[in-house]
Amino acid sequence: MNRSSRNALVLASPSLAWLLLFVALPCIFMVVMACLTTGIFGIQFKFTAVNFERLFQSPLYVTLLFKTFRIAIVTTAITLIMAYPLAIFLSRQRPATKGLLLLLLFLPFWIGYVVRTFAWLPILGRAGIINQMLLDLGVINQPVDWLLYNEFAVYLGLVYVYLLFMLLPVFLAIDRIEPALYEAAQDLGASRWRVFTRIVLPMSKPGALSGAIMVFLLTFGAFVTPALLGGASGIMYSNVIAAQFFANNNWAFGSALSTVMTAVVIAFLVGSSRFIGLRDVFLSRAGDRR
Amino acid sequence: MRVALKQSPLQATLLWAYAGLIYLFLYAPVITITLLSFNDSRVVGLPFKGFTLQWFVVVFTRPELVTALANSLVLGIVSATIGAALATLLALAFRRPFPANGLVFYLIIAPIVLPGVVAGVILFVFFGLLKIPLSLWTTALVAHVTWVLPFSFLSLYPVVHRFDRSLEEAAGDLGATRAVVFRRIVLPLIRPGIIAAWLFAFSLSFDEFIRTLFLTGYERTLPVQFWYMIVESLSPEAPAMAVVIIVVSVVTSLAGALVSRRST
Repeated sequence: MNRSSRNALVLASPSLAWLLLFVALPCIFMVVMACLTTGIFGIQFKFTAVNFERLFQSPLYVTLLFKTFRIAIVTTAITLIMAYPLAIFLSRQRPATKGLLLLLLFLPFWIGYVVRTFAWLPILGRAGIINQMLLDLGVINQPVDWLLYNEFAVYLGLVYVYLLFMLLPVFLAIDRIEPALYEAAQDLGASRWRVFTRIVLPMSKPGALSGAIMVFLLTFGAFVTPALLGGASGIMYSNVIAAQFFANNNWAFGSALSTVMTAVVIAFLVGSSRFIGLRDVFLSRAGDRR
Repeated sequence: MRVALKQSPLQATLLWAYAGLIYLFLYAPVITITLLSFNDSRVVGLPFKGFTLQWFVVVFTRPELVTALANSLVLGIVSATIGAALATLLALAFRRPFPANGLVFYLIIAPIVLPGVVAGVILFVFFGLLKIPLSLWTTALVAHVTWVLPFSFLSLYPVVHRFDRSLEEAAGDLGATRAVVFRRIVLPLIRPGIIAAWLFAFSLSFDEFIRTLFLTGYERTLPVQFWYMIVESLSPEAPAMAVVIIVVSVVTSLAGALVSRRST
């Protein structure tokens, strides 16, 4: 090891020590805990596979894992479709307008997701704005309940909370396209649709992939949105993990559920890295807050 | 129009209309909650029964709410300071070829890619097995620093790579020691980036919820206090408290964005 890389190691060592101690080691503890036995007197240090057997044999947890995966994929697709027209719109604005519109886009996303999710309750609830409007218009006589506490409300909340994570990388990719390219294509007789499919789509693909990875990860781990807006039918995998610690006091089973979730996330990232370098995804995110 | 792409007036109108709908979607809940925070009614919702500031008085006088606000502010300051300091050293290390670069990178982004609940669980189990009791200034602080560290690193990474390395080499050739080079050349160049990373880290810590829920014990931060407030019973002062959280988050993030823009 030469002098400069030894210096680099010295500079990096406080952070790396921190991350090894508080991320890597606790991950190992989680896997160990997932293999311990829960008795009436709490955790016993007897190794067992019973937690994983229970997880995979009960239809409840596997079904919920698939449902959570499905919600994450569908939310990613919805944000992707919503992001493109807006990204194209933004990229066509003059620099000053673009800056202002981008700032206005960032503002709501700077607010924590608990508050932003909560804000939907007085809109969708029984005493909420939508019910009040429908009552005033005479469309309904009684406030309706079905606006909240179902999967639709979860989708709405998730799209609301995570849209920017898709929009930003897609916009940055589209905004980087040289306008001369469009001009050349149109001069050569390409239709607008062809310009979109042959220039905009391929050139924004890395941005779309980055956004998709971020939105998937965030949605897959969602806890607050399903808890506040989902009700009994809208719960997701994170909610049952939390219940093992806050309600059932079964750390071993909670750790087994967490281990499986982590495995799915790692598999997802390994799969994604075949299409895009993870370094590009995370290092390009560095510009998010600008 | 700046861009050469020819678009029909119809297409332009449709895009404007679409953008308008998206902005409405983004702002309607925030505006609603702000209006309801002034509503003189015990029900969180409509009808609007008149203007009052009483819910803000409640928020700023109820001891547990004031404590939660203070906890969040101080925890944010402390974890942003530790996180940004660690991240600055780490980002500087990444300017040179680094042993085990790839693996180290995955370790750094691990707190970002781990689902929030899992990130809470691993530390909860870790401290539980080590018999370390949960509290704001031990376990929750660790969770917050772990959470803000990778984001601070990612926002500093381009900053330390952007500036001209020949400045440093020139100073070194002229006889400056490494310490002088760092203090007189490197630090002034990356200072705005560090401030931006600090503000970013503060706002992440201030808004952090799920990891804190697992690790804070009895001392609550503002988002955790807010959570119990709306989950246990929807208290009428909830919208006012939401507005206070909104103002702090937006102001610090806006400051971070301005500093960061100036540094580029």
